[in-house]
Amino acid sequence: MEELLRWRLARAEAEAPRPPRAARLLEEARPWWEIWPARFQDAVERLSAIRLAVGHAMAEPRPGRIPVRTAALVLRKEQEIETSVRVLYLRVEGARLRLRFELEGTEEDARKSYDVTFVCTETLKPLFSAPAQSSLMGEYSIDFEMSPELARTWEHLKVMDRMPFRLILRSDTGQ
Amino acid sequence: MRFVWFWTFWHWSKESYREGCLLRSPLHGIGGHWDEWFRHEASVDELRQIQEAGHDPSSQRRFMAWLRRHWARETEWRSNVGAVRFALSQLAQVPPFHKWQAFDEFRTGYGVPGISAVVLIAESVGEADDVRKVEALVLPQSDGPCVVTEGFRADANDLITSRRAAENLTSGGGLLRFLALWVWRGERPHPRWLAALLAAAWGTLGAAFLYLWLGPDPGNYLYTFAATLLGAWLALLLAAGLTWGKFCLDARRAGRLWKALLQGSEIRLRMEGGLTVKGGSAGLPFSLNVLLSLFLANPLPARRSWIWRQLFANLREGAARSAATGVVTSSGSVLPVILEPKLRACLLHGQIKQVVTPRQRPAPHAFAPIQSARPEPARQTSLSTAPIGFAAEYGSLQSHRARHLADALMALGRLNNRWQPFLNSLALLVSVAMIVALADFKAILLPPPTPSVVAPISPSLTRLWVSLDTKRPEAFRVALDSRYWANRRVDVAEHKGANGSVRAEIYLDRIWDTPVRDPEDGTVWIERRHKFLNREFHPGERVGRYSLSYINKLGHD
Repeated sequence: MEELLRWRLARAEAEAPRPPRAARLLEEARPWWEIWPARFQDAVERLSAIRLAVGHAMAEPRPGRIPVRTAALVLRKEQEIETSVRVLYLRVEGARLRLRFELEGTEEDARKSYDVTFVCTETLKPLFSAPAQSSLMGEYSIDFEMSPELARTWEHLKVMDRMPFRLILRSDTGQ
Repeated sequence: MRFVWFWTFWHWSKESYREGCLLRSPLHGIGGHWDEWFRHEASVDELRQIQEAGHDPSSQRRFMAWLRRHWARETEWRSNVGAVRFALSQLAQVPPFHKWQAFDEFRTGYGVPGISAVVLIAESVGEADDVRKVEALVLPQSDGPCVVTEGFRADANDLITSRRAAENLTSGGGLLRFLALWVWRGERPHPRWLAALLAAAWGTLGAAFLYLWLGPDPGNYLYTFAATLLGAWLALLLAAGLTWGKFCLDARRAGRLWKALLQGSEIRLRMEGGLTVKGGSAGLPFSLNVLLSLFLANPLPARRSWIWRQLFANLREGAARSAATGVVTSSGSVLPVILEPKLRACLLHGQIKQVVTPRQRPAPHAFAPIQSARPEPARQTSLSTAPIGFAAEYGSLQSHRARHLADALMALGRLNNRWQPFLNSLALLVSVAMIVALADFKAILLPPPTPSVVAPISPSLTRLWVSLDTKRPEAFRVALDSRYWANRRVDVAEHKGANGSVRAEIYLDRIWDTPVRDPEDGTVWIERRHKFLNREFHPGERVGRYSLSYINKLGHD
């Protein structure tokens, strides 16, 4: 039995693909904005050009909370969509970010998941990138470990606040 | 305590909302909130309990029953049945409930009755699939639009118009029209024997009126007859007025409560199919469903209003078999639409037994494609008449034509009583006749005071003036009873000018073959006159007696 196992192990090692080289691993670990800076720069320029503002002209006060929309750029293989998201849930506990949002105008062509890049509103620098999973309600949920410094800055954020970030959503992360 | 895990979730949701971590209120965002809690917040023990609760359909149903009976009652929407149904339909979309068998009915709807809309897919000439069930729920107002659609998209203005039309029906011109329709042709709450008795009473009243007008002279029974007739009419009128008043006021009161509810609420409209609805022909079913949702959200006002209770009970019971189509305006008017393909769709659907359409003629341009699409065009009947039988294999379809949302409610609420307009017409006819004859009734029952004979007297020897101090000359007549002069009976009339007075002028005609030689022989009688419309009864009671000599001396005194 022992020999059989050794034989199986030797065969598996022989048939296994070669491990990637360190340089390749480093390359893959790099965020996309470092791999394709020109593409990122172009996306950021488009993102910063999106203007979103709510004009309050209600005749009567209404219950509920007025949602603040956050600019978002959806990058897909076939098209790019300038849109916005509505943050439905935001909680920062420790360094953990829990974010749930609703994406506007893409209901007909909803994707299972997006790679979401958070871009600082003020500096237009990328903050981090996190996966967002779609729920059955057509909403997206992010559960991500942020840097402690950023978490401290965001821990008092409420859903009604103007968000200090804009989002780039990529559904075809190979590009 | 059972299902503690749901309470844990619920309090997490409420606290998170209070802290500003959640945008939507715990109720409006319950599906998403649950998804978030279930994915990231639920403990291992809670997940195990949830799994146990969903172990088999019976335990799943127990959880649903608990939600309805216990959780819903602990919330602030305890009286709103729609709120718990909304919660169930939202939870049915998210794990683990999306796989629970007991939630199946809430996966594609709210599980409330709904009147179907007929929305044609482009190019369709009317297929069974074009009939789509619409469901509506009333939820507390949120930050979103006042009408939220699920499963379809529609122009926001059309949705708001439908909502306004429904609001108008609860309190406004629409309600007045609805109540007027009910008064004219509506089912009454009386038992059948009482309805028959009332009909007989009005019929008898009409017959008695005709008898008094055209029948034999009642003689001494005139007063009794007139009093009975008037009393019966007033009693019937009072009974009808009190009935209408009570039921209409009750309906108005209930309508106001629903209007207040609607104004502070958000309407959720659901229609499966993912359609983008172009045009406003679904406005009528939307409005009807909004009204139904008000009743489902708060059925209490209907308990005090027979009309609404009856209407909504029938509307709810027949909703699955009902469809409607028509553009509705904010005042509730129903405007024409392309009709024939929609009727065809209803006929092919099989479950739809009645459809409300605008009052319109069939449009020829829409009729042609159906004929070409149907293999048996010769068997088609006129689609504008009711009932419609497209072909034997499709059964029949009852068509109700409506000019206004109120007409649609009367039809679907089964409030129409085909005999009521006849009875109302009879009552109206009798009442109009009674009103026309009211002055005559008054003269019979409340006659003017007995007048006295006053000056002036006639300056002529051949005429006798009997002047009376009355303002009602038409109510009296003067009779001369003499053995010297020919007896005469003369009407009293008002005479103007010099020597003007209210008097009867009697021409004195001597009787030559009488043994009496005294020209002052005779008695003047004042008699009451009784008239009814154009009929004059036999002379009534004599209320004054004056000798001829007394009258002749009046001028000299």
